[in-house]
Amino acid sequence: MATYIVRRLIQAIPIVIGISVISFLIVHLTPGSPIDKFRTPRVSPETINNLIRLYGLDESIPVQFGKWFSKFWTFPFDNTAWGYSFTDGLPVRDKIFARIPSTLWLTGVSLLVTVIVAIPIGVLQAVRQYSWSDKIITTFSTIGYAMPTFWLGLMLKQTFSVQLNLFPLFGQNSFGKTGDLLDLLWHLTLPVTTLAVIQVAGWSRYMRASMLEVLRQDYIRTARSKGLADSRVIFKHALRNAMIPIVTLLGLTVPALLSGAAITETVFSWPGLGFLGVQAVTERDYPVVLATVMIGGVMVILGNLLADVAYAVVDPRITY
Amino acid sequence: MARSEGLPVPGAPLARPATEIDEVDLVPVRTYWQLVRRRFLQHRMAAIALVLMVVLIVSSIAFPLIGGDAWFKTSLTHGPKDPSSLTAPLGYDNLGINIFFRLMRGLQTSLTIGFFAVLIIAGLGTTIGSIAGYVGGWVDNVLMRVVDIVLSLPTFFLVLMFVAFMGSGNVFVIIFAIGLTGWTTAARLVRAEFLRLRESDFVQAAKALGASDRRIVIRHMIPSALAPVVVASTLGIADSVVTEAALSFLGFGLRPPEASLGNMLTNAQDYFYRQPLWIWYPGITLILLVLAASFLGDGLRDALDPRQRIEA
Repeated sequence: MATYIVRRLIQAIPIVIGISVISFLIVHLTPGSPIDKFRTPRVSPETINNLIRLYGLDESIPVQFGKWFSKFWTFPFDNTAWGYSFTDGLPVRDKIFARIPSTLWLTGVSLLVTVIVAIPIGVLQAVRQYSWSDKIITTFSTIGYAMPTFWLGLMLKQTFSVQLNLFPLFGQNSFGKTGDLLDLLWHLTLPVTTLAVIQVAGWSRYMRASMLEVLRQDYIRTARSKGLADSRVIFKHALRNAMIPIVTLLGLTVPALLSGAAITETVFSWPGLGFLGVQAVTERDYPVVLATVMIGGVMVILGNLLADVAYAVVDPRITY
Repeated sequence: MARSEGLPVPGAPLARPATEIDEVDLVPVRTYWQLVRRRFLQHRMAAIALVLMVVLIVSSIAFPLIGGDAWFKTSLTHGPKDPSSLTAPLGYDNLGINIFFRLMRGLQTSLTIGFFAVLIIAGLGTTIGSIAGYVGGWVDNVLMRVVDIVLSLPTFFLVLMFVAFMGSGNVFVIIFAIGLTGWTTAARLVRAEFLRLRESDFVQAAKALGASDRRIVIRHMIPSALAPVVVASTLGIADSVVTEAALSFLGFGLRPPEASLGNMLTNAQDYFYRQPLWIWYPGITLILLVLAASFLGDGLRDALDPRQRIEA
């Protein structure tokens, strides 16, 4: 197993380099530059030149890339490793690290809700295949799957914040209530619901399919013919094996949620990584944009690895 | 219960042992496409989705033609308080623009972007997948690593970056960005088909007859490998349309006066209190479009797979 993980990590190196080259090129070869906003008649050409030098934009692209890439990986020791933000001059690393707790709250809680809701739903659907409850849930999950995140977010906001006035419109904390857990959870409700509805729609489908697959196996028939109670067959014998693919799903979902919650975070102005990324793109804050994309890419690679490792852990038939 | 297999598709493995072959002669032989049509229509949701898709496409072409410039023409005499009428079933928006015609124009934009983005996805995916699958060796290795890289990139964020930096509001940039990030699934599917087809008898036969590589790939292999691309493309329409709407919603897509489902949603957001229904119109249209595309894709997958059996 250890050699497998090491091999996978070595295989990941060219992919990480590829990701950084592509994102660096998109940022630097597209028209426009972050100092364009300073090019007004009141700013002297000398100042502009100084700014270009300050941001290191005067060097050739390969040199810029080399400097950025080699410095990028010193981030555990150096808070300037990812450069300084173009908008407020703060070290990018500090800016990003400050957003991680918010993103973890949002991701963690919505994942928890997803698991708690989707697994029982999927099991119920599989056990009562083709029943009315199965058909109704399938219909809802199909619609949920088709709903764009931002639209669902807007609808929830309109119904529960604007019309019923039950939940806050945006943000993480009410004014002067930073650190208040209840207040945080109150603000979390709508964004978590948005993410969870869409996740549950997908997850319950997987769970249903996986459970149906397991229920068809011979050992389930054996358990049934031994005269075991239905509940014991389903929860003790079938569920454990049906959960195996779900473990993989978890590894693939976490990275997608961490960077993919960008739209939900923007709809609710939730101060997480995704919202920071979208803002940085709007403001052409190159160092922040690059760091966000890199984090997203590395997360996906690690998530894939984690999924494969977890798969081997829960399923003894699989060895690497 | 007699089953008909129809004509075996080139390259498809025999679904049943050859000893049962006399049973096949009992039922009328059907061509591949007859079977496909039959299987597709048996999939009830897919048939409904096809009708829905046709309705959506026809209205996205017809209503903008009927309405002329109604989709962007502002008016001082009409407003949100006007009751809905035959000429404006959804009323007028804050600028006095006919919402129904604007919605249809937005639908047209979305479908156009979805269609062309998927064209890029299918084209790139087929080209890269077939090269990787046919040539094999280090070429295959390099191309598949490129696929891995693109798959690891946070897709939506990449599209956002590309569009924001290359020029927001430009339809071509949006189509290009969605196409360039979305081709990986199609490429993988085509490559898998090619790996299978390369060893099949009809390709070996073509090779033995001295057909050139180009001829083998274009005339023989690509037509046989196209089914998964068609399915992936149909499903891709849904993704592309939603991506475009999300871009517009974040302010990087089409800007008014241009109409798109996304920027209509952004506008509706400002009228949360007074016009709660405005947010429903583009949203429902978007969901119908996504549902139609995904059921169509599911139905096509079941219908085009020659290994699927059908009750005769």
